[in-house]
Amino acid sequence: MSLHPAVYAVLFVLLAPVFGGLLAGIDRITSARMQSRVGPPLLQPFYDLGKLLQKDARQVNPLVEPLLLGHVAFMAATGAMILGGTDLIFTAFVFALAALFLVLAAGSVNSPFSFAGAERELIVLLASEPFFILMLAAICKVTDQSTFGGVLGSAVMVAPKLPGMLIAFSFVATIKLRKSPFDISTSHHAHQELVSGLTSDMSGRLLGYVEVAHWYESAILAVFVILFFNWSVPLGLLVFAVAYGLEVLVDNSTSRAKWQLVLRSTWVVTLLFSGGNVLALFLIK
Amino acid sequence: MGSLIVFLVAFPILAGGVLLGVRNGNLRNAIVVLAGLVVAGASIATAVTFGNGNAVFFDLPNGLTLGRSLLAAEIAIAAFVVVVSIQNRRILAPILVLGQLATSLYLELAGKMPEVEPGRLFWFDRLSVVMVLIIGIVGTLICVHSLGYMRGFHRSSPMIKGRRTIFFALLFVFLGAMFGLVVSNYLPLMQVFWEITTICSFLLIGYTRTKETTGYAFDALNMNMLGGLGFSIAILMLTGQPDGLDLAKLTAGPATAALMPALALLCLAGLTKAAQMPFSSWLLGAMYAPSPTSALLHSSTMVKAGVFLLLRLSPAIAGSNLGMLVAFTGMLTFLFVSLVGVTEQNTKKVLAYSTIGSLGLIVGCAGLGSPELIWAGVMIIIFHALAKGLLFLVVGTIENRFYTKDMENFDALLSRLPKVSVLALTGIAGMFIAPFGIVVAKWTAIRAFLDIPGWQGAALLVIMAFGSSLTIFYWGKLLIKVLAMRPVTEHERTIEKRVSRFEWLAEITLALGVIVVTCFLGVISEQVVGPYALATFPDTSQSFLHVDPVMLATMVVALLFLPALALWAARHERYDLADFYAAGRPVTSGGVMGMALGGSRTVSLRNYYLEGVVNGRLAFRAGSIVCGSLLVALVATGMVAR
Repeated sequence: MSLHPAVYAVLFVLLAPVFGGLLAGIDRITSARMQSRVGPPLLQPFYDLGKLLQKDARQVNPLVEPLLLGHVAFMAATGAMILGGTDLIFTAFVFALAALFLVLAAGSVNSPFSFAGAERELIVLLASEPFFILMLAAICKVTDQSTFGGVLGSAVMVAPKLPGMLIAFSFVATIKLRKSPFDISTSHHAHQELVSGLTSDMSGRLLGYVEVAHWYESAILAVFVILFFNWSVPLGLLVFAVAYGLEVLVDNSTSRAKWQLVLRSTWVVTLLFSGGNVLALFLIK
Repeated sequence: MGSLIVFLVAFPILAGGVLLGVRNGNLRNAIVVLAGLVVAGASIATAVTFGNGNAVFFDLPNGLTLGRSLLAAEIAIAAFVVVVSIQNRRILAPILVLGQLATSLYLELAGKMPEVEPGRLFWFDRLSVVMVLIIGIVGTLICVHSLGYMRGFHRSSPMIKGRRTIFFALLFVFLGAMFGLVVSNYLPLMQVFWEITTICSFLLIGYTRTKETTGYAFDALNMNMLGGLGFSIAILMLTGQPDGLDLAKLTAGPATAALMPALALLCLAGLTKAAQMPFSSWLLGAMYAPSPTSALLHSSTMVKAGVFLLLRLSPAIAGSNLGMLVAFTGMLTFLFVSLVGVTEQNTKKVLAYSTIGSLGLIVGCAGLGSPELIWAGVMIIIFHALAKGLLFLVVGTIENRFYTKDMENFDALLSRLPKVSVLALTGIAGMFIAPFGIVVAKWTAIRAFLDIPGWQGAALLVIMAFGSSLTIFYWGKLLIKVLAMRPVTEHERTIEKRVSRFEWLAEITLALGVIVVTCFLGVISEQVVGPYALATFPDTSQSFLHVDPVMLATMVVALLFLPALALWAARHERYDLADFYAAGRPVTSGGVMGMALGGSRTVSLRNYYLEGVVNGRLAFRAGSIVCGSLLVALVATGMVAR
């Protein structure tokens, strides 16, 4: 398996939505079973996407659509850059930029619900970003490598050296996967106070873009988990699957937290577990 | 060789002197524009003449000597400070300035001031090239912008007495002094320019002569005079050392223990001028001055003098305890002001916190010192000068239209001032949209932190991760305000037409500068900044000089995306599309919502300032205390090392 990194980058752009979509399908079935329902077919997210893309979009201003396309493009680019061999630490900044475009799309609408959602998305970005910088920096430090290929080829096993980072990852991933109790900016559960958060004014194909970008985002998280289990890609995917299952369980058994709690708890966890792990790494190595 | 430098320093000062006597507005416009062209041209000519080689040293041209002019300048400065302080009943500034004068007089009268070694008065290398270009181009654009801005400023604040002759004279003197500062090799010469910049900023901050601004002006004066006193004492200590006053020789390599006390005091001087905590308050007070003053202080003068000196000192202090303390002061300042920044509603102050944070990053880079970090520090200087200069000018333009600096009143800027918004977006993208110069510099710094052993490396990494993320929040809020769109009235449409051509000229040129510099990042790195960084630390590899093409492409796309989109959207205004969702309540265009019990209200949206989680005042105080303690440790370390 020694293909050119650019091939992996292209494969990511093509296959990540398939991965993310299937994941969403499994998520919905699992959630349904947890709630004693049968749930939709596995491929339902793809049917939904197809329908969304065919529908007319209700445009509120001329900025939303291009900003959302930017959101999708930069999400895809983040994953492509990681697999294509760009410096991992640099990709943390591109990842944040990709997320920012969604905030700006919702913010440009200038409406109460979208605006509140946009601001809250900005808060979760603020909460989660320190972790991703620390995580990628620590992975580079442990393996003495700077790229995806380098980390996978490294003889050093990452996860055993970064246990604290893994704990913090499971915490922060809850934010990125938009799972309760940290799902404060969008609302996958119908009963919550924010109506539909930052997607309130996005419909039809606009909503489709948001969905696709989220699938890319899920795939990027899976890639991060693979970085931790760099000696065996199947093991990494297995761990991701198990962790995702737990996220779904947490999602279905908690109610949404207030933004203050989300921000505080994420910072504390990042500082204690990621920061502590980094400190140990620097002192021992 | 020397004559070009003398021209560069003397011409702006002379132009300032001429402007002092010009009361006619049109004549002033002509002189400022012409003098600006000459200064910019001279700076480019200087850069081209000296720019392609390594460091050169030289004296004043044929026959000219300094003589006692430095002492005369110091006496004049001290006399001025004493007089204004008596007028305003201030006590601290005269004490500090007389302390400075006393050290100089002592050296002069006791005959201890060593003669400057022939041929080593000035030092011009690639860092000087960068600085001279920034001062010459960004600085003069700000002068031109002021022509338009000050007219609007006095129209909107009629109770303030117009003293525009002094204002423009000061701008040019400031530029002249900065040119002198960045090419000085002989420390007493640099100190005189250092003090002139302090005096200029004091006068510019206090321009409106209200009680409030006079207080802030004296804050700035006191803090910078304290740094200046440190500079004087450092010179006093260095006279006992061989080649002590020759900056290039002093910083040629790791300093001996005997030099540490003086270096610690020079670092103190640099930190005060770079507005690092606990000295940040003077730069925040300066936000009450007219916006071109802020633009000048932030982008091309004053604070850049502070980080310039620290970058110069970097090879001498790198690897020592002193260097580590300087680095932590800078990085902790970055973290704390970023925390304060998320709670701030005044746009100019947000920009100020962002400046102090960026300077903190440069200070961190200078304190740790490696080719990569020096490279990163110089890169931040370049990008920050362009982008922040642009942003302050744009905010000045907005302020003169809406009479407010409050971020919350900037909403729907894209609909109200479309062209100004495009420029603002270019500036914000230049400062922060992830993959751009400053981000490349942050990334470089993180890579360098990974190689620092022990807890220090870990701590710096954590500080960077949090500080960097915090900046996303306040830039994000500002972007939302700028990008939000709503229908505008006919009256609102006419507002932008009143922006003067001077303002357009300066802002558009700077915006293009941001774009050009990003596109040519690779060239700038390989031709100028990289060779400089390698010359500073000769025994290292060159791998970092080549900017990854994928990164470069991402940067250019990310930089252009928002401004281009805004430009397009402003031309395709369509509000007939649909109204937003309002939980079933009727909404009419312009965001007027029908209420459940009749009547209607206009939607008004306010940003989050993280109340209850982040306390800005507390963060500012905590940062000042922490960095203040580091500073005490810093001076003490210097003394102990001896």
